[in-house]
Amino acid sequence: MNNDVIRGHLDLLLLAVVASGAGHGYAVIRALRERSDDAFDLPEGTIYPALHRLEQQGLVVSSWTVAEGRRRRVYRLSGVGQRALVDGQRDWRAFARSVDAVLEGAR
Amino acid sequence: MNETDTPAAGDTPDAIDAYLDALLARLTVRPERVRRIITESEDHLREAAAAGMARGLDVVEAQRDAIEAFGAPSVVARRFAAEEGVLLPPSLLLHLVLAMALMGSVGFAAIGVSGLVAQGMGSIFGVRFVSGDHNGVTYTPARCADFQKYYPGTCEEAATAHHFDEMVDSRITAGVLGLLGLGVLFAIRRSFPRGSGVRLLPSTFTPTVGAALFGIAAAGMLLQSLAQLSVAGGIPGEEAGVGAVLSAGIVSLIVFVGYATALVRRLRAA
Repeated sequence: MNNDVIRGHLDLLLLAVVASGAGHGYAVIRALRERSDDAFDLPEGTIYPALHRLEQQGLVVSSWTVAEGRRRRVYRLSGVGQRALVDGQRDWRAFARSVDAVLEGAR
Repeated sequence: MNETDTPAAGDTPDAIDAYLDALLARLTVRPERVRRIITESEDHLREAAAAGMARGLDVVEAQRDAIEAFGAPSVVARRFAAEEGVLLPPSLLLHLVLAMALMGSVGFAAIGVSGLVAQGMGSIFGVRFVSGDHNGVTYTPARCADFQKYYPGTCEEAATAHHFDEMVDSRITAGVLGLLGLGVLFAIRRSFPRGSGVRLLPSTFTPTVGAALFGIAAAGMLLQSLAQLSVAGGIPGEEAGVGAVLSAGIVSLIVFVGYATALVRRLRAA
C-alpha cells in the first residue's frame, strides 16, 4: 500500500492500536503490522516521530519502565486520545461509506 | 541508501551500535529529545533482533533485518526533524561549512600563486603585459603626480608599475590567508583523524564542486585572455593587462586538474 496513504491516517491507526492496551514502541508497531496483515509496512523508525507527536498533542501518555535490562518507553491512550479515537472512527466510517458509495456507482 | 548513509549493518559484531551512531549524527531535534530517541531506537532494534534470532537467524542477520526494517538513519532523522521543522541537520551544516572553508582556502592560496605567476610574467614580458591600462585610459594630473611620487617614468609607466605592485601584493596577501586557512583546517583534521567520525558528505563532494568552480573560472579567464591576445595581434597596446587574467586562468586550470584528478580517483575507488 502507498506509504503516503498510510501516513495520512497514521495518527488514527496508532490511537486504535494503543487503545488496545499499553505498549512500547516495538509492540505498537508490530501490532499495527499484524492487524493490517502486513499491509502497513512503513519504516519502523518513522513511526516513533508520530508517537511523539501524539504525546505532544496529549492524545497518548508515556512513561519509562525497565524490561530485559533496558529502559523502555510505554505508551497508553489518554482520555483526550480516547475521545479523539471515537471521533476519528466515526469520521472514517462516514468517509469510507461515502467513498464506497461513489465507487459502487462506477460499476 | 548510499554508502555515506549506510551503517555497517552486518559488517561488525554489533551493527546496531553503528546504526545508532549514524542516527545520532543525523538527529537535529532538541537535545533533550535526542537521548529518548536513541534509547527507544535501541530498545526497538534489540528486541527486533532478538525476535529474528528466535526465528533462527544468526546475530548478524537478525541485526541486519532489524536495521533494514527500522529505516535508513537519514530517513528516520528527517522524520523527527520534520516534526520540529528543522530542515538541515547541524552536523551536516558543519561538514558543509568545513568543505566550503577548504575550497575557499584553496581558492585564496591559488590567488596567491597567481600573484607569483603574474610577477613572473611581469619579469618576462614586462609589467605592462600584466597591469597596463587599455588604450584610451587617462589620469588626471593630480593622480599622475600621485603615481610618480612613488614610481619613476611617465604617468603611464608609473601607473602601470603601481597597478602591478598593488595586484601582486594583494594576491600574495590572499595567498597567505589561504595558507593560514589550510593550516587551521589541517589542525582540525588532525584533531579528528580520518575514520573517527561519520561521513555525512559523499567523498566526491569537494572534488566535484571544486572541479566545477575552478573549471568554469579557468575556462572563462583563459578564453577572455585568448580573445584579448587575438585582438592584440592587430592593435598595438591591446595586450596591456592581459597577464592579470591569464595568470589567474592558468592557476585556476591547474587547480581544476587537481580536483578533477581527485574526483576520478574517488569515483574509481567507490
